[in-house]
Amino acid sequence: MENRLVKIYHGPQHPGITGNMSLELDLLGETIKGARTHVGYLHRGFEKLVERRTIIQAFTIVCRICVPEPDPNEENFARAIETLAGIEISDKAKYIRTMVLEMGRVASLLLWIGGQSGSIGLGTVGQWSLFDRDLILDLFEELTGGRVYHMYIYPGGVRRELPDGFLDKLSELLDYLEDRLPLYDKVFFDNASFKKRAIGVGVVNRDEALKNGYVGQVLRGCGIKRDTRRDNPYLVYEDLDFEIPTFDGCDVYARAMVRRGEIRESLKILRQIVAKMPKDGKIMQKIPKHRKFKIPKNDTFVSTESARGEYSYYMAGDGTEKIRRMQVKGASLIHGFTLLEKLLIDEELSNVAMIMNSLGICPPEIER
Amino acid sequence: MKFSLDIKGSLTPFVAVARVFEEPKTICYPFEKKEIAKGYRGFHTNLLDKCIGCANCQDVCMNDAIDMIPIKEDRNPKNNSGCIPRIDYGRCCWCSLCTDVCPPSSLQLEEDCIWASDDSNNFLYMPKDK
Repeated sequence: MENRLVKIYHGPQHPGITGNMSLELDLLGETIKGARTHVGYLHRGFEKLVERRTIIQAFTIVCRICVPEPDPNEENFARAIETLAGIEISDKAKYIRTMVLEMGRVASLLLWIGGQSGSIGLGTVGQWSLFDRDLILDLFEELTGGRVYHMYIYPGGVRRELPDGFLDKLSELLDYLEDRLPLYDKVFFDNASFKKRAIGVGVVNRDEALKNGYVGQVLRGCGIKRDTRRDNPYLVYEDLDFEIPTFDGCDVYARAMVRRGEIRESLKILRQIVAKMPKDGKIMQKIPKHRKFKIPKNDTFVSTESARGEYSYYMAGDGTEKIRRMQVKGASLIHGFTLLEKLLIDEELSNVAMIMNSLGICPPEIER
Repeated sequence: MKFSLDIKGSLTPFVAVARVFEEPKTICYPFEKKEIAKGYRGFHTNLLDKCIGCANCQDVCMNDAIDMIPIKEDRNPKNNSGCIPRIDYGRCCWCSLCTDVCPPSSLQLEEDCIWASDDSNNFLYMPKDK
C-alpha cells in the first residue's frame, strides 16, 4: 500500500484553506490515509511584541491576532488589564462593548457562510453573505473609525461615544438581516446539495470532545451546551435573554446548524442592547498616561466567547508599565491540530475544505 | 449507499434566480465612490499654527512611524523644538494614538484615505495643514 500513497500539500496558498496553513496529506486515490498540519506561515510574534510595549501601545496591536473577528482580542486584553489594575467600567461602556462583540460575531458568522458554502461550490450565497457583512462593517466604520481592526475596546471603557442616530441605523440593519435569514435557509442551510455533502462527514467523537478541550460549535454541534457567556458571564450577558443553540449529529451539518442558530440569537441580543442601552454614563474611566500606566505584580485569566469558541488570555504584570507575559489561548489551536488530523483520516480529498471550514479554524489565531 | 430524494431541498435554492433582476450591490469604482463615514481613521492633518513640536506623538507611536523633522517656516511661536511630525505610511497602522496624546489637538485623522504612488519616498507623509 505504501508504494501507492501520493503525498500532496494542501496549502498554504489554497482557496480551500481558511488562512495560511498547510496540510500534508497522504492519499490513496482520493482517500486520505495520513494528515499532518503545518503552521508557522502567520507567526508574527504578538506575545513578544506586547512585552516590549506599554499597555496603551499594546492595545492597538492585539486586534490583529485574529483577522475574521478582532474584537474578542480587544475585550480580553482590556478586561485583563482592568482586572489587574482594579478598574471598574460604567454600565454604558459594558453595553457598548457587548454590542461591538455581538456585531463582530454576526460579521464573522456571515464570513463563515461564505467560506463554508464556497468550499462545496455554492458560490452565490457567499457573495450575499459578504455583502451583508459589509453593511455591518459600514456601521463599524462609523462607530470606531475602522472597518476590520477597530481598536475601540480600550482598557477603562470604549474609545468613542456612539454617533448620533447609530442605534436607529443598527435597528434598521437588524430588520434587514432578520429578513435575509429565511433566504439563507432556502439557498444554503436547507439546500439538498449541502445536506448530502455535510451530513455524516467530519463526525466528532462526542465522548472525547470535552476531554480533549474542544470548544465552540464543535461542542455545541455534539449537543453539549457550553458557552462562556452563560458559564462564566462577563459584561452584560447575565442581563440578556438568549438561548445557546445546540444540535445533535456531531458532523459538519450539525455545526452549520449551530452557527445558523447563533446568528439568530446574536440578532436577538443586539435588539435587547438597542432597547436597554443607557443614555447616560461615562464611556471611559480616567486612566494614567501611557508611560505612567503601571499594572501590579499579579496575574489573571480572562475568557470571551468568540464566534469560534472560548477565547482566553492569560496576563501577568510585574509592577511596571509593560506587560510581563501575555498568553493567548485561541479556539482554533486544538481544532486545527488534534481534531483536524483525526477527522481527515479516511475522508475524501474534496471534503478537506468543507471540514476545515466547519471547525472554524483560524490560522492567524493559532500562531499569533 | 441509501438513496433519498430531497425534493424541497433541491428546488428551493432556485429562489436565487429571482435576484438576477435586482440592482447589483457592487460599486463601479472609480466612476462611483463609496461614501466614507465621518470619523474614519484616514490620513493625518496637522494644524501648524497650533503644533508645539512636543513629540508626544513620536513617543507614543509603537511602530516608530513618526519622525520629528525641522519645520521650514516658523508658524507657531510656542513650537520650541522647531520640529513637526512626519508619518511613515509604510509603518503607520492608523491606530490614532498620536492624535489622542496631542496636547493642542493639532494632529488629527481625516476621512481621506486614497493614495497611490510609484515612488516609495512619497509614503513619508507630511500631514497637510488644514
